[in-house]
Amino acid sequence: MSLPERLYDLTWRRVRHLGGVSLLAVQTARRMVMPPYNVRAVVAQLEALGVRSTNLAAIIATFTGMVLALQTAYTLAAFGAKLYIGEVVGMSLVRELGPVLTALMVGGRVGAGITAELGAMTVSEQVDALRSLGADPIRELVVPRMWALAIGLPLLTVLADAMGILGGMLISTWELGLDPSFYFSHVLRLMGYGDFLSGLGKSVCFALAIGLIAAYNGLSARGGADGVGRATTDTVVAIAITVLGLDFFLTKLFLSL
Amino acid sequence: MTERREAVVVEFFEVTKSFGTKRVLDRLSFTVRRGETVVVLGASGSGKSVMLKHINGLVRPDSGGVLALGCGVSHLEEEQLAELRRRISYIFQQSALFDSLSVGENVAYPLRLHTTLEEEEIAERVATLLARVGLAGTERLEPSQLSGGMRKRVALARGLALGPELILYDEPTAGLDPLTGLAIVDLIREVAATSGATSLVVTHDLAAARRLDCRVAFLENGRFAFDGRLEEAAAAPGTVRSFVQAGGFHD
Repeated sequence: MSLPERLYDLTWRRVRHLGGVSLLAVQTARRMVMPPYNVRAVVAQLEALGVRSTNLAAIIATFTGMVLALQTAYTLAAFGAKLYIGEVVGMSLVRELGPVLTALMVGGRVGAGITAELGAMTVSEQVDALRSLGADPIRELVVPRMWALAIGLPLLTVLADAMGILGGMLISTWELGLDPSFYFSHVLRLMGYGDFLSGLGKSVCFALAIGLIAAYNGLSARGGADGVGRATTDTVVAIAITVLGLDFFLTKLFLSL
Repeated sequence: MTERREAVVVEFFEVTKSFGTKRVLDRLSFTVRRGETVVVLGASGSGKSVMLKHINGLVRPDSGGVLALGCGVSHLEEEQLAELRRRISYIFQQSALFDSLSVGENVAYPLRLHTTLEEEEIAERVATLLARVGLAGTERLEPSQLSGGMRKRVALARGLALGPELILYDEPTAGLDPLTGLAIVDLIREVAATSGATSLVVTHDLAAARRLDCRVAFLENGRFAFDGRLEEAAAAPGTVRSFVQAGGFHD
C-alpha cells in the first residue's frame, strides 16, 4: 500500500470510528433517559466498576497528595511561602488532579474491563444471541455501565480529593511541622463550591467518554481473543488521550463560567 | 394463491450479500414452507450462516429481499425486528449461552424479557424445558461447567422458551463427537415433530443431514446448486456429488 493510500485508509478508519462512537452516544443517551430503567443492573455494575476501584483511587490520590505537598513545599520555601501549602494542594487536587488522575487510572482499569467483557461477548456471539432473543444490547449492556460510571466516577473523585488532601496533611505535619488544623484551614480558605463542582463536572464528562469508548470498542471487536486483546489496548490508549484532551477544553470552559 | 403465500415461512428473493470484495450470496432465491424441515449443506465458508442470519435480520442484504413469517425482514427497524425475533429461534454454532448467567437463568432470560410470568411459573417452565432437552436438574450449573453437547441442549431449551414458529440451527453438530452429534439431531427431529415449528438447519455434516431425512439444499458460490432429497444429490453433477460422496453417501 502506498503512503497516500495508507493515509486515506487511516483517516477513513478514524472517521468511521468517530462516527460509530457518536452514533452509539446518541442511541445510549436516548435509552438512558427513556424507561424502562434496570436499577438492579446499574447497582450490580456500580459494585463491579465503582466499589472495586476504591482502593486504587484512594492509594493513587494519597501518594499524589503527598508528592504534591513535598514538591510544593520545596518550591514555596524559596519564596518563604511554604505556609500556603494547603491552598496549593487543595486547589490542585479538587480542580485538576483528583478528577484527571482518577479518570486515567480508574478509567483505564474499568474501560479495559468493559471492552474485554463486551468484546468476549461479541466474538462468542452472545451479543447476537441477545438480539436474536429480541433484547436490545445497548439497553442491556451499555446503559447500566454508563449509569454506573456516571455515578461512580464522581464519587471516586470525591474520595480521591479527600485522600489526596489527607496525604498532603501527612507530609505538612511530619516533614514541615505544620499543625493539621492550620493545614486544613488553609485548604478551605480559597476553595469555593465552584472549584469543587468544576472537578465533579469534569469527572461526569470523563465517565461518559470512558463508557462510550470502552463499549464501542467492545461491541465492534472482531476475530477472537486476538481481536479482543487489540480492542482492549485501543481502549486504554484512547481513554488516556481523550481524558487529557477533554480536560483542556473543560478547564477552558469552566474557567470562563 | 393467498393460501400458498401463507404456507411460505421463509422466502429469499434475489438476495446478494458481499463482505469487502467477496460475494457470499449471489442473487439467492429460496423458499421454505410451514412445518418443513430443510437442511442447507455446503462447504465451510460457503455462506450458510450468513444466509441464516438474513432470516432474523442479524445480517442485511445488499440487494434483494427476505421474507420471514410474512414480514419483509430487510426493511424492518431494529424495534420491529425485536418483535419478529420473538417468533424465531436461532441456535448458534457456539451455543452463545450468557457466561454471566446460570443454566436456569439462561433459559429463563426470554421468559423474563417477553412475558409477565411470576418467578415461580418461570422456574416451572425452565424445569420443563430443561427436562425436554434431557438436562433436568441442571438449573444451577454455570455454562463453563457444561460439555459442548450440553451447551447445545441448553441453547435449544432457551430457544424453545417462547414457543417459536421457526427454528434456525447454525451448525448444530459442529465440534461434537459423532454420537453426541446424532443425539442432538434426534432432538431436532423430536422438537420439529412435537412443536410443529418449521426448522432450517445449516450444516456441513452429511451424517446429520442423512439422519434428518428431509429436503436438502446445497449452497455453492452464493447460490443453491441443488435442492431435493439427499439420495438424489448423490446423482447430481459436479461439486454436489463430490461433496456427498466424500461424506460416504453413495446412490
